[in-house]
Amino acid sequence: MAKHETPLLDQLETGPWPSFVTDLKRQAEKKPECWDILGILELSYKERITHWKHGGIVGVFGYGGGIVGRYADLPKRFPGVEHFHTIRVAQPASKYYSTANLRQLMDLWEKHGSGMTNFHGSTGDIILLGTRTENLEPFFWDLTHDMGQDLGGSGSNLRTPANCLGQSRCEWSCYDTEEACHHLTLHYQDEIHRPAFPYKFKFKFSGCPNDCVAAIARSDVSVIGTWRDDIRIDQAGVKEYVAGNYPPNGGSHAGKDWGAFDIQKEVIDICPTDCMWMEGDELKIDDKECTRCMHCINVMPRALRPGADQGATICVGAKAPILDGAQFSTLIVPFMKVSKDNDFEELIDFIEGIWDWWMEVGKNRERVGETMQRVGLPTFLNVMGIDPIPQHVKEPRSNPYIFWKEEEVEGGFERDIIEFRKRHAA
Amino acid sequence: MALSKDELKDAIEEKAVKSPKPQLYIKDFYKCDPESKPRVIKNVANEMVREGRLMFWSSGSTTMYAIPSRIQDEEH
Repeated sequence: MAKHETPLLDQLETGPWPSFVTDLKRQAEKKPECWDILGILELSYKERITHWKHGGIVGVFGYGGGIVGRYADLPKRFPGVEHFHTIRVAQPASKYYSTANLRQLMDLWEKHGSGMTNFHGSTGDIILLGTRTENLEPFFWDLTHDMGQDLGGSGSNLRTPANCLGQSRCEWSCYDTEEACHHLTLHYQDEIHRPAFPYKFKFKFSGCPNDCVAAIARSDVSVIGTWRDDIRIDQAGVKEYVAGNYPPNGGSHAGKDWGAFDIQKEVIDICPTDCMWMEGDELKIDDKECTRCMHCINVMPRALRPGADQGATICVGAKAPILDGAQFSTLIVPFMKVSKDNDFEELIDFIEGIWDWWMEVGKNRERVGETMQRVGLPTFLNVMGIDPIPQHVKEPRSNPYIFWKEEEVEGGFERDIIEFRKRHAA
Repeated sequence: MALSKDELKDAIEEKAVKSPKPQLYIKDFYKCDPESKPRVIKNVANEMVREGRLMFWSSGSTTMYAIPSRIQDEEH
């Protein structure tokens, strides 16, 4: 029996799609506090204002992240959601779960919380929605001791690192994303669980430039697999595609009749750098022009593969819109070997170089990409000790304001500023 | 010369007590000892949380530090 009248929410159930309102009503039969979620949301729809108070001192002992405090501003009217804190549980690498693990987690959440979840939050964590302050420590004890799982990051912490399926399922993965993610998660436990930075910091690992984990759009340090030699071509495979014996795109668009596969139209003509052509029945690629868009490999996976000299491109500074709007990360290191053999040493040195600088220079609530924008890329590169290279420039001559220092120019130069100012006023 | 750990803890506590706002960013503590690296100050502030001399306050996206008595009064 519904506790509150919810005509506006009820409308959401009438569409053809599954409705969270129906889910909440079903859950409310077991967990009566869910009626108050519906009640407070209906009121917000009516008044067009939120009734959630955001943030607070809640947490588990020793951790400065993983719990997000949430309180209702009408606790007498909606006592079930007076406290309605969010818990972030770290997801396993690549989000591989056993059903036994999921059942155990859900049983734990039914015991200590509302039972409502969000799989997954945009950082990747399992989001458990709604519990009271007094339930936090018992939940944390059970999670860590009975299940061997941990909380994820929140606040000004390193957020839970995330990765694509990598070499566990994907032949294109140019490094072991799972190993990298797992290793760095363990290496940076302190940064994940205790605040360290001016604002949040994320790194994500994609095995190839398809970037299935969307690292380039969502992470402060995007580690994206790549290669530095030539795309491997199996000319016999190319012929099979051209003859129509292999389905393009692995057959993934086979639900509609697109006509016969046309390598010229579907691959060569839409290569963004125009670096492919046919010589007779052989496909040729000018690899130095390739920008790793992956289109040709995606269309003809049985004929084309990433090169064999594999590693990762490191980009820095992506973020979702908060202050200056969304931005992709900027290429900083075109190629880096990412390997367990040296405990990911080069990557770790790179990340810590950024942290040391950003912790000092970054303003409060400023993502590292915003700090980079504020100081400019030349300054950032200088601080990081990275020499500028053509790949750092989006397009030639769009920004002429590069100021060379005397020691950077072979032979140096002499400059008389007084003479110069006579001709060019400041 | 950088402050000793105990001196730094006292300086951080004094800053948090005297601040007009109960919640402070980690960067606010950098000024307690400009000689110390940010990472050192962060580690000391987090140690003070474990000791109960400071407390975390989190909005979900940002984490701040506060003296427990000041922030608990405000929270209730």
